[in-house]
Amino acid sequence: MSNEKYRSHLERVLREGHFAVTGEIGPPKSADGDVVRKKAQILRGFVDAANITDCQTAIVRMSSIASGVLVQQEGVEAVIQMTCRDRNRIAIQADLLGAAALGMKNLLCLTGDHQKFGNHPEAKGVFDLDSIQLLDMVRRMRDERKFQCGEEIKGKTVEFFIGAAENPFADPFEFRVQRLAKKVAAGAQFIQTQIVYNLERFKKFMEMAHDMGLTEKVYILAGITPPKSFGMARYMKYFVPGLDVPDEILKRMKEAKDKREEGINIAVEIIEQVREIPGIAGVHIMAIEWEEAVPEIVKRAGLHPRPLAEEVKPVEVARPAPEVVLPKEEAPAKEEVPEAPPKVEVPAEALKQIFGSLRSSMEALRDGINLLHEGLASLERTLLGGAPPEMKEAVAPEAPPVEEKPAEAPSVTPEEEARAQKVADLLSAAKAAREAGELSKAQALYKQVLELEAENEIAKAALAEIEKELLVEDLLRKAQQKLEAGDLDGAEAAFKKVLEIFPQKTEAEKGLEKIAELRAAREKEKEAKPAAPPKEEKPAAAPEVADILVFPDVALEYRDVSERAAGIPEDVYKEPGTAYIREVTIGEGEKAITIGGTNVLPFHLFEGEMKNPPHVAMEVLDVKPEDWPEALAKYFEDVFSDPGDWAKKCVEVYGAEAINVYLLGTDPNFLNLGPDHAAKVVEKVAKAVDVPLVIWGSGSPEKDVDVLREVANVLGAKNVMIGPVVDTNHRALGATAMGYGYSLIASSPIDVNLAKQLNILLENVGVPLDKIAMDPSVGALGYGLEYTYSVMERIRLAALYAQDEKLQVPFVINVGREVWKTKEAGLPSDDLIGDQEVRGIALEAITAIALLMAGGDFLIMRHPKAIEVTQKVIKGLMAQ
Amino acid sequence: MIIAERKPIGRILQMIAPFKKVAVIGCRGCVAICSAGGDREVETVAAALRLARKREGRPLETVEDTFVRQCDPEYLTPLEELRKEVEAVVSLACGVGVNLAADLYPDLKIYPGVDTSFYGANPSLGQWEEKCRGCGDCIIDFTGGLCPIARCAKNLLNGPCGGSQGGRCEIRPEVACVWHQIYERLKARGEVEKLTQIWPAKNWIPAGHGGPRERVRPDLQFNNNSKK
Repeated sequence: MSNEKYRSHLERVLREGHFAVTGEIGPPKSADGDVVRKKAQILRGFVDAANITDCQTAIVRMSSIASGVLVQQEGVEAVIQMTCRDRNRIAIQADLLGAAALGMKNLLCLTGDHQKFGNHPEAKGVFDLDSIQLLDMVRRMRDERKFQCGEEIKGKTVEFFIGAAENPFADPFEFRVQRLAKKVAAGAQFIQTQIVYNLERFKKFMEMAHDMGLTEKVYILAGITPPKSFGMARYMKYFVPGLDVPDEILKRMKEAKDKREEGINIAVEIIEQVREIPGIAGVHIMAIEWEEAVPEIVKRAGLHPRPLAEEVKPVEVARPAPEVVLPKEEAPAKEEVPEAPPKVEVPAEALKQIFGSLRSSMEALRDGINLLHEGLASLERTLLGGAPPEMKEAVAPEAPPVEEKPAEAPSVTPEEEARAQKVADLLSAAKAAREAGELSKAQALYKQVLELEAENEIAKAALAEIEKELLVEDLLRKAQQKLEAGDLDGAEAAFKKVLEIFPQKTEAEKGLEKIAELRAAREKEKEAKPAAPPKEEKPAAAPEVADILVFPDVALEYRDVSERAAGIPEDVYKEPGTAYIREVTIGEGEKAITIGGTNVLPFHLFEGEMKNPPHVAMEVLDVKPEDWPEALAKYFEDVFSDPGDWAKKCVEVYGAEAINVYLLGTDPNFLNLGPDHAAKVVEKVAKAVDVPLVIWGSGSPEKDVDVLREVANVLGAKNVMIGPVVDTNHRALGATAMGYGYSLIASSPIDVNLAKQLNILLENVGVPLDKIAMDPSVGALGYGLEYTYSVMERIRLAALYAQDEKLQVPFVINVGREVWKTKEAGLPSDDLIGDQEVRGIALEAITAIALLMAGGDFLIMRHPKAIEVTQKVIKGLMAQ
Repeated sequence: MIIAERKPIGRILQMIAPFKKVAVIGCRGCVAICSAGGDREVETVAAALRLARKREGRPLETVEDTFVRQCDPEYLTPLEELRKEVEAVVSLACGVGVNLAADLYPDLKIYPGVDTSFYGANPSLGQWEEKCRGCGDCIIDFTGGLCPIARCAKNLLNGPCGGSQGGRCEIRPEVACVWHQIYERLKARGEVEKLTQIWPAKNWIPAGHGGPRERVRPDLQFNNNSKK
């Protein structure tokens, strides 16, 4: 049967231009090889090759490759199928090598039906590859002699004629041809399509394939299935995904006297019509559990005898080496399998019966399982939704559910089978009616089922479901009437009831939204008074941007949570912390400020208290800043030369509540000015203003010790805050602070544990916790703000809710320095990123407010406008 | 976030059958947000366990607490004390939390109170949908932001299978066919040609088929030295 030029007989038939016919053999759910042989014998001479399915619909059956060997022994060339569902790339390649060694010539590559549809729905689906990757792998095994991993295949490799499937009736339709093109590109040489009933759509598909030049590159075989009964046709229409059965077919099957005759007629007609479509190279006849129909169809379609049929000879099973290969012509099939078990005589008719009933019961089973799932889901909904559960009678033990019975018992009496068939027919009709929205019709049909099978679970579940749907329809109608009549409460109650039954019902959800809208509209009419206009901002004396940027006050009206959460017990939404953040006070007299003192997350005033609002200090530098953008510098240019004047301007013009003196000039890597310079600067500031002071060193641990000591000498025992303290200088600075009664800023690099550790170290030195504030090291917006945020939040949660005492200290957040050194704050105005000043203000204010939300208690900022908006937000939030 | 679902109370009762005093520990992370293991669920589970045991005539004493997270050692430290107080712990955290606690406290009997289900989003109240499978090799830049690994029943990479009908998956009609969505989206963007490329076989090692996965950041590990 092999010809040097061709890899398989099927390939030869196609390439020599004959109209090809392939058939299909479904292996048995047993180890009975005779079933396969019998089917092959029926097809012999009427098909050019026969596909052997690989556990189709995910039901365990004899393997495709093993069955293929049996089929070829009977003189029919096999097209073995390989799915991606059950094997990974290792198993697939191994099996394909074996298949090739056993003489398999054709391979159809499929993704495979999902295991959900089979008899092992709990199996793990492999899907290591998809069908296109499988095609690609096989092509490269064959043409490049390479395994998927790229390793070379030494010696013989596979020599398959490779095919694939495509479904022109699945969606999205336009992509189907693209996908076909992908399969061809991946290596498909022939295509067997899904069953064609809808010729219009199929023609369109073929036209598109033709236009893309695919019909030149690949042989397309149209899928043909003769409907065996009206029930089967209907089943295919409603229950097989990706199958398109026009009503015309259903009608013909329904009206026909001899259903099987009509089924064969339909198949023959479709074959005749697809033959006319350009680019169709053959047909693939899938007579599911009805192989006997194939010879008849092929004969009537004028496709018999098959071309080159005389060349197809039964294949010998590969044997161990020493045996001489028999001349092919001499070996009739039967002699080649002498060891085959004695054949059981099974009359063809009986087989037909068995398979017929098996098939229909399988359909009923699948249908039943689906309905059962739905029933269970609805039961769950009912129970959880609080509606009274639909009572179900207990299933009488002597009558197992109908769908389980025939599957394992082919020996049913004809009456029982007829009844089961009728039940299955009624069920599918009922399901169709239900899907079409004809609920009362479906109800009647299900009731008929119950007359035949009192214990039919599917029908019972469906009936319960339908009753609920009817109830819901009724409720919706009533609600709509009430809505129109203006009875909002009544309508709302009805909609809510619907949602209890079907929580996802969109009509009801929409109805509720509508009610809310109407209510809001009514409220508005009642109020009629417009909201108070935002208060006028006191005009800032400074340049234009500040004039343009006027921030209204945050609305101080506040609806209490207890009001908004009416009906919910307080303890559900209230969760005050179990401890307080310690209070740290700096400054003296009336102007002193206290930070900390909260037992809740920032601004959660509904569940706890914040004894002090967050405060903001303005920053003054000891030297003229070199890198301040114009947008910021212009406010202070006149006072850059004198830190005292600068501080004074901050307090008197911009209302600063505290001043942070940043001793940048002492930085050894910058100007490296001495401690005496720092002392002079601080002295000037202290004389100029009476607000609380923070003295912030350059950040050089050794230098800061000297600088801050000198500052303390000059300043004396004033209640100021100094820092930053890090682990390497905590002893020296801790001692200074204790000596003069200062508070400290404990600075750690964005880490919960390091922050905690530094506090412990300071405590060990003798600094009490209420003299410590933490600087967790922050980042500006776009520069790690979120990381800062999360670390601060974790610290605060640990302090308030995990009794982490060492973390119960307030945060000092240096916002201004981080924001104004970013590139974005300094870039000039342009169309893309806007005005420099507005941008800078936004960056500083957003960073500040974000960090307030993370727990910031004391912010150090620079731009007057950014401070203004931050203060307003604080005020608004504190007004709850 | 990680979506979990509470185990049936019957199963939890089996786990703790030998004990008289157990702690039920929730987690304020993902499982709290998906209403499987936060403060409220801790309360419910503990109450249900006590009731059931009372009915059995073998009353149970419970300790209830909810940690900020159970996937960071620092938040698990209360277990140190707790294990002296109770015989066993039922954790309502996801599997990550239970495992970490089991790693850190080998002599603590800790049992899972939830089934950890998937990584999902919460599109509406009371509903969670799988959106990511953590396969370690994100390709959704090619698929319009929609993941075919997590959201296709066959995790196909080369387009929809033959079971895609009217935008629905054949698995269950309420499941959208993600490949249909991907196609529609890319078509609207004029990027369908992205789908005409053959996507090669996927490397499943980053997805966990190469053994337990681990991520290391040496620059951050440095800080461990200063941890106590």
